[in-house]
Amino acid sequence: MGKVFIIAWKEFLATVATKAFILGLLLPPFFMTIAMVAMPLLMNKKSPTVYGHIAVIDKSGMVAPRIEEAFSLEKQQERRDQKAKEVKEVIDKGMQSVGVTGKTAEQMKQQMDASPAMAAQKMLAETRLTVEVLPPDTSVDEAKQAILKATGREQATDGNAARLALLVIPAETVKSTEIEDGRPVFKPYQLLTAPRLDIEVQKDIRGQANRAIVDSRLTDAGEDIAKIRGLMAAPTAEEKSVTATGETKINDVAKLLVPGAFMFLLWISVFSAGQYLLTSTIEEKSSRVMEVILSAVSPLQLMLGKIIGKGAVGLLILALFSGAGIAALIFFAMAELIAWQNLVLLFVYFMIAYVTVACLMASIGAAVNDITEAQSLMTPVMIILVIPMMLWMPIMRNPNSMFAQVCSFMPMINPFIMILRLAGSEPVPVWQIPASIAVGLLTVVFMCWASAKIFRIGVLMYGKPPNFTTLVRWVRMA
Amino acid sequence: MTNAIEIRGLNKSFGTKKAVQNLDLDVPEGSLYGFIGPNGAGKSTTIRMIMSIIFPDSGDLRVLGKSSAVESKDRIGYLPEERGIYKKMKVGAFLKYIARLKGLDAAEAEKRTKEWLVRVGLADTYRKKCEELSKGMQQKVQFISAVIHEPELLILDEVFTGLDPVNRRLMRELISEQNDAGRTIIFSTHAMIEAEQLCDHLFMINKGVKVIDLPMDEIWRRYDPKTVVVEPLDAADVGRAWASLPGVKEMIETDGVIDLRLHDNADTSELMRAAANTAKLRRLELKRASLEDIFIDIAGGSAEELRQELRPAAATELEEVRRG
Repeated sequence: MGKVFIIAWKEFLATVATKAFILGLLLPPFFMTIAMVAMPLLMNKKSPTVYGHIAVIDKSGMVAPRIEEAFSLEKQQERRDQKAKEVKEVIDKGMQSVGVTGKTAEQMKQQMDASPAMAAQKMLAETRLTVEVLPPDTSVDEAKQAILKATGREQATDGNAARLALLVIPAETVKSTEIEDGRPVFKPYQLLTAPRLDIEVQKDIRGQANRAIVDSRLTDAGEDIAKIRGLMAAPTAEEKSVTATGETKINDVAKLLVPGAFMFLLWISVFSAGQYLLTSTIEEKSSRVMEVILSAVSPLQLMLGKIIGKGAVGLLILALFSGAGIAALIFFAMAELIAWQNLVLLFVYFMIAYVTVACLMASIGAAVNDITEAQSLMTPVMIILVIPMMLWMPIMRNPNSMFAQVCSFMPMINPFIMILRLAGSEPVPVWQIPASIAVGLLTVVFMCWASAKIFRIGVLMYGKPPNFTTLVRWVRMA
Repeated sequence: MTNAIEIRGLNKSFGTKKAVQNLDLDVPEGSLYGFIGPNGAGKSTTIRMIMSIIFPDSGDLRVLGKSSAVESKDRIGYLPEERGIYKKMKVGAFLKYIARLKGLDAAEAEKRTKEWLVRVGLADTYRKKCEELSKGMQQKVQFISAVIHEPELLILDEVFTGLDPVNRRLMRELISEQNDAGRTIIFSTHAMIEAEQLCDHLFMINKGVKVIDLPMDEIWRRYDPKTVVVEPLDAADVGRAWASLPGVKEMIETDGVIDLRLHDNADTSELMRAAANTAKLRRLELKRASLEDIFIDIAGGSAEELRQELRPAAATELEEVRRG
């Protein structure tokens, strides 16, 4: 048994103590931290103020004063504040929808004020625009020459505010001259802008022009502008779901994400470990180190040691990632989404899934001569093991459907399916947990028995790459 | 004297090919056995069966008094023909790993690894990756991995392959050293000169059948060509005179060197004295068979058969190629 652990320890180190592994584990959290810290910092950088004129050729005589008013300094500032408030509301709503509420939410909001929401506010370019009303008979061609090269940043460089945009508003844009299907038809107006003008500023000019034109139309038609605007405001809904503990805010996203995350974690850790096992077995075989090792230990000891060693790698991955996930959930005060007994079951199902996959990988690794030959044997294995990924959504929606229950007892995929169901919102019938574990253990016993035989024969077999029929023959032979 | 290895009636087939047939072999403790035979004769198969890596179809096999090498793996050192190393592993780590698998504790494994690397002149490779070593250096590392646990029985398959003359000599010295320390050694090789110089017992198989199993002195006696080689300063002085010396069966002259083939009961020393008395000589010696001659003599027959078998088929194929 001592030799098995010497092999296991060497296999563990051979994978873990490599730059690739350490970087692979550390880099994702590292980049996430960078993203969380650096992004707001970068966004905090204020966009430079946009200075310039908006020229208006107003043939209706009604729109220009309204546009002038809309671009008064106070109104420009007001709109910017309003926009920042909206961005903040969207963020708050987003946080509520994934379930961040209460005290943590308050703390986070404070942080947010210093970061994304504030950043959003700062991101909106500050504008110092003035309106220049041109006589209605000004030539459009001449007037637009001035905006050809303007960007809105001229004030900062040479102190001259440039003409950034030109609005040409025909009389027919405000006063309709024809009626179609009982509705008045209006002529379009022209908005000519400098090609490099900030897109937010363009949007603002368009929005204000539209508003000024509609207001002019309403006045022209003798309507009360404030009344009409009030009537047209979009209705809002308050959404809540009814549960035993009373009405709570819906937590849909989190409900879907947590079981998926659990299964994905299981899948990733099982597969990384299995993949490491496959490549290290193939390496031993193709580099012919196998026979040297086999002069010291039996094939069974070698296989056992390798499976244990790479299993420890898988457990390490599982522990690190689930640890990070749980830490994040606790931080967001969503720890109630995890049922703690599920973590124990996660470990149990990891062991079942890993040993099953590891036996397959060890057999394949021992049977082939190099990695390319392994591909053809890997394809059917991969097809089976991708099934749980594809079943995520249907099983999530209905964790106790007949389909989900049947899948829970299918060898190979049942650990993944069970984890998915257990982490879901509907309770799984209690008897199904030990029953599925029993199915898993039977699979494990069978796989160990078969792969031990394949491994023993395969490790010293060189030459023609085997196919599945050969493998089955080896199992029968020994 | 007890035997380190005892084999009785060993058989092994791969499909229809009989790799080893009805093989008997005794290797006494402390002996140095050379194991030769043409390619595909069954050497590696026999060695693998001794190591319990593959199992015989029938026959008895005892290694170090046990019925299977598995039971005494830690007392056996084995250098397989197909030997590799972990490319990405450091030399020191690799040797320590193997030593620990052979049952040494961590401290002892480290100590011996360092000692051995110094002995073979690879002290500076302790922290190098195995893939950075040359093939000859790798072979030395592999040899260390076979002997690091001081085994009672050392089995070396094709140990001289791929080594330059300097390293062949080093390897020969290392093997002698192991044998002097009382270890039983079996090594298979195609290097006849090394086999001649090293082993005290020779074992040859051909097509899975044992053809020679004799101590070296017995081989020299049995394969004595009974020939005296004389090189006179001037061959013209001698003429055909020596052909009539007592005991001479045949006299063959090639480029001034004369081979005198003798009758089985001829007195060689008398003859050599007579030759030395009649002419001035550059060289006078009793010819000894080389292992290479013996090898080719035995295996050559099969090579000839092989040619005979292949000839008609090859001729047809050649004809087809020519015709396009």
